[in-house]
Amino acid sequence: MEEKEKGQEANKPSRRDFLKSAGLLAGGAAVGAGATYGLMPKEPAPVEGGEVVPSAPGQAAPITKEVIKYEVKEGVLEPAFEDEVSMIRGTSGMGFGRDGMPARIETKNGKIIRSRPVRYAEEGYGPDYLKPWKIEKDGKVLEPAYKKVLITPLGLAYKKRVYSPNRIRYPLMRVDWEPGGDPAKVNPQNRGVSKYRRISWDEATTIIANELKRIQEKYGHFAVLAQADGHGEGKTVHGPHGCQTQLLRHMGPDEQSSYTAQIRVADSWEGWYWGGKHVTGWETMGTSAPSTNMTWDMAQNCELMLVSTDAETTTWGFNEQFASLVMYWLTEIGIEQVYITPDLNYAAAIHADKWIPVLPCQDAALYLAVCYIWLTEDTYDKEYLATHALGFEKFAEYVLGNEPGDPEGPKTPEWAAPRCGVPAWTIRALARNWNQKKTSLVGFMGPGMRGTYSTEPCRIQACAEGMQGYGAPGRNRYSIGGGLPSRSANIAFDRRLNQTDPAPARGLEESEVPQDYFRPHQYIRKVEIHEAILNPPLSWHGTGSPWMMASDQGRPFSYPIPKEQGGTEIHMIWTDTPCWTTCWNGGNKYIEAMRSEKIEFILTEHPWMENDTLYSDIILPTTTRTEEFDISAGAGNVWMVKDGISPIGESKTDYEVSLEVAKKLGDEYVQKYTWGRSVEDWMKYGYETRKIQELSGLTWEQFKEKGFWAAPFDAEWEAKLDAKPGARTFYEDPVANPLKTPSGLMEYESSFILANFPDDDERPPVPHWIPEGETHQDNPLGTRGEKYPLLCQSNHPRWRVHAEHDDISWLREIPTCKVKGIDGYLYEPIWLHPSEAEKRGIKDGDIIGMYNERGMVLGGAYVTERIMPGVAYQDHGARVDQIVADPNLPQSEWIDRGGANNLICPEKILSRNCGGQVGSGFLVEVTKVDINALKAKYPEAFARQYDPGSGLRFSGWVVGGEL
Amino acid sequence: MKVFVVNSNICNGCYNCQIACKDEHCGNDWSPYAKPQPDTGQFWLKQNEYVRGNVPQVKMTYIPVMCQHCENAPCMAACPVRDGIYRREDGMIVINPKTCTGCMSCVDACPYGAIFYNKDLNLAQKCTGCAHLLDKGWTEPRCVDACPTGALQFGEEADFAELFAQGETLHPEYELNTRVHYIGLPKKFIAGTVYDPAVNEVVIGATCTLTGEGETLTLETNHWGDFWFEDLKEGVYSLKIDGVGKSKTIADISTAKDVGLGDVPLE
Repeated sequence: MEEKEKGQEANKPSRRDFLKSAGLLAGGAAVGAGATYGLMPKEPAPVEGGEVVPSAPGQAAPITKEVIKYEVKEGVLEPAFEDEVSMIRGTSGMGFGRDGMPARIETKNGKIIRSRPVRYAEEGYGPDYLKPWKIEKDGKVLEPAYKKVLITPLGLAYKKRVYSPNRIRYPLMRVDWEPGGDPAKVNPQNRGVSKYRRISWDEATTIIANELKRIQEKYGHFAVLAQADGHGEGKTVHGPHGCQTQLLRHMGPDEQSSYTAQIRVADSWEGWYWGGKHVTGWETMGTSAPSTNMTWDMAQNCELMLVSTDAETTTWGFNEQFASLVMYWLTEIGIEQVYITPDLNYAAAIHADKWIPVLPCQDAALYLAVCYIWLTEDTYDKEYLATHALGFEKFAEYVLGNEPGDPEGPKTPEWAAPRCGVPAWTIRALARNWNQKKTSLVGFMGPGMRGTYSTEPCRIQACAEGMQGYGAPGRNRYSIGGGLPSRSANIAFDRRLNQTDPAPARGLEESEVPQDYFRPHQYIRKVEIHEAILNPPLSWHGTGSPWMMASDQGRPFSYPIPKEQGGTEIHMIWTDTPCWTTCWNGGNKYIEAMRSEKIEFILTEHPWMENDTLYSDIILPTTTRTEEFDISAGAGNVWMVKDGISPIGESKTDYEVSLEVAKKLGDEYVQKYTWGRSVEDWMKYGYETRKIQELSGLTWEQFKEKGFWAAPFDAEWEAKLDAKPGARTFYEDPVANPLKTPSGLMEYESSFILANFPDDDERPPVPHWIPEGETHQDNPLGTRGEKYPLLCQSNHPRWRVHAEHDDISWLREIPTCKVKGIDGYLYEPIWLHPSEAEKRGIKDGDIIGMYNERGMVLGGAYVTERIMPGVAYQDHGARVDQIVADPNLPQSEWIDRGGANNLICPEKILSRNCGGQVGSGFLVEVTKVDINALKAKYPEAFARQYDPGSGLRFSGWVVGGEL
Repeated sequence: MKVFVVNSNICNGCYNCQIACKDEHCGNDWSPYAKPQPDTGQFWLKQNEYVRGNVPQVKMTYIPVMCQHCENAPCMAACPVRDGIYRREDGMIVINPKTCTGCMSCVDACPYGAIFYNKDLNLAQKCTGCAHLLDKGWTEPRCVDACPTGALQFGEEADFAELFAQGETLHPEYELNTRVHYIGLPKKFIAGTVYDPAVNEVVIGATCTLTGEGETLTLETNHWGDFWFEDLKEGVYSLKIDGVGKSKTIADISTAKDVGLGDVPLE
């Protein structure tokens, strides 16, 4: 058994070592009754006022009936009996004005003491009110979580975020930065090197207001980039990611000519957005497969699930652990779960009936070979394809190796095996079982998530689905829990009701409202911020926003926009809760861009000193939810954000930050920013306009008092079970129920791509196997593969929400969260199969480096059978902690200690015409690292204050240390 | 009398239990029940994860272990202080933080490693069953409250009679009469995928005969060519596979660890 004993307190060595080696510590292997200490009870001492039961071997020890309890001692209440105050807070890390997973957070003497899941009955919403639905198959029941919120450990540990030693306590200014734009005074090359000093809010906001005016005057309003998107705390009025846009949009001649927007592109399902939906029409996300009654269809009809996702992990950031219960139930009712993933992910670990390891992002080869088997054995639904598909013949020709000019030939299992890592015999078995059993595909992660050329595996997977009659009973696309009855009220503060309605979520992530009428005329896609700064001008096709239809992908855009329209390069960045360096495509390149002379001022607001904040000029501290007054909602629940604690240090809410700057700009800006409303006015406005008052029957004052309202479950759920599930209507009548593709059919040859990009060999009209191309050369069997033979698999992290929660000491004690190096530093684990570790002389627990031409990130070796050979797996989002990132050295020599592998992932976008990122499935090598040698070479980096529990310390970056 | 039930069959390894325990006790003084736990290093409830098998036949089992609140508690017997460690009416065992002298006799006495020494406070510390919360009206401790799947349960012994029939305790040979019942404690497995290298096909319906430790078991490979012999003892086994007119024997398979034989060619 592979048990990790790291992190144990040092105790009396001899006895504990014995217990450890005997495997007797909590949960260890049995050894036998030989090792005994004090098993024979002594004669018990008499108990005052209690009954004494004489003991003998094997008999129970006495009960001390007089339980020692002092409620009041010397006039003072014992701590266990002190009064507590309770507040409700969401614990979702989604951001975007949405929250979820409410917890009861108790405080004592103004300090948070615990975070526990909300129990609905305790809040006055028992089952008689909620009326939960119930689905049953073969006597196995599935019900929603109506008793308590199925919180995650991230929510339980929430107070550690609030009290992190990494909280920014007051405004900071970089010691060698001055406003005014003079490069000799801006010293942009020192971003990420220089430390910070404390300044006052007054000084900070004065500088910000003046810099805004100066830069807008000198270059034009588009010179200011509002980087306003990303995951963060779920808030409404005080929401991160966008409050600054509510101010900036009033500073120019009109709202769309006031700043440059950063547009959030589909991130985590790129392959589906830019590729898959051209086959399936699952608009707009690419993952929006019809889901009506899908869980019901699975229960009635599905026999086999092919899973490429991790519903035990990915949902943690945003939803509860309900997916876990669904997966257990699916197994109980007899559905086979087969996981096709490079790692035995956290869902596969406990739910898989079979694990088919596949090399990261090489799945296209696997699915092509499966299609080949069906074509050559005539085991596919020809009739369906005749009426439901477009261009199938061309796809079939490609699979059979008959496409002119195709160097790959027939896509046999023997062709596929060395490319995808799945043995030919298992590929054949997969093809047969998929055909013979009613098979549904589950999840959109896997290669579709941030993989190289990820459009192609997603399209090919969808093509395979079509060949077996997508939409037939038991043959649908399923997301765990999809289509289950929901709460009757979908309350959302982030959605605008119409063009003139301001969303109550003031930190509305503007780039999620990308429609032309709202988006600033000049914008940059998030995947190209660094490219835009370093190598302008840029031109591209498709805004890339998750909310746009496929047709948007053909629209041309450029940066900067023409001078006549006010276009200009950006010279200032105002960023809000950022984590670009550790979450996007090419963090090291991004750092280079931040150090460009063109960028005269970087303003960051964030609660914690981490990641992108280290590359700023002015840093403003912001609050967590527990320090605010707000309203919040998620998953049919609404709650007051009240009874909180005082802000930590001098932190302000994101809403307040922009308000303070507005004050410096003048009353007119204060009016325009606030709409003349107080924070509570905004909350009440949200409560009223989003119809909560109608639904709850509570006035604003009553709701404020009550603090929590839960919508009951949909009362009509049982009747709705009759609705056709998934894509059944398309299956039964594709003419009456077309897909949202141009032809209405499953497009094996994409009409859109044929019309707009017919010669794009990186996303051709018929999907292809693309091992490498002009944009990416991450082919393990190609030339770069000789030097970098491993594929890096980088998943949504288990113990974080992207970059959030990296500093929670309790999570960092978990073996798959951090690996303790010999130097005491807690490293981000890099999973290696024993065979790969052995080849490189690496042992479990060693400090290792993962590297390619773009630099190196360190990690702790986690040698395990949970990962296939050929892969180095490290979650993304660990905090950047650069040992060396010297602007005078080539990036290939940069080393990051934190394990932020997005620093070294490919910088270029998904493919020529597809604006996604590649954060996984790229080539690396790993090697043992001599940490002492690095320490000797770069003493300053190692001298930064560090706390093993929480990692980097705020004081490590502030002159004068902790003040 | 209260008992815990731990069901590893539905423990999803979320670590809510371990973290909820930390949340309740790290940095919180619950005198007279317990002093604060140090921020790291102690695990009054410890989640244990076991990676079992070899690529691609790998499973995981999670087994959370807290103080077993033994009826015949060796810690109580070892404690030299009168009522230094006491048993409540609900059966929870509590170390009295006010009288503990830090002698560590109980730390050494506990065969489950469930007691920890806090060197800053000079105290022995362990799970209290969240006695301070139970006395306030909570019906279950933090770990159980946080568990999303029902893998952890807590309540009156009488209410769990049916579950106890399926369960077992940890190290019953210690005869401590522990009050935590476990379901789903893993035995060993031997698994593999059988294929025919002559045609690169899995072999479905191959007969697999496993002998060892006084038993003979037979399985047929399934629609993936897979066989899984489960619930095996720890020992040595021999496997014979017959299919597609060929035969193969793999001898001396030790189940000290679970075994994934990978892809087994019949040639």
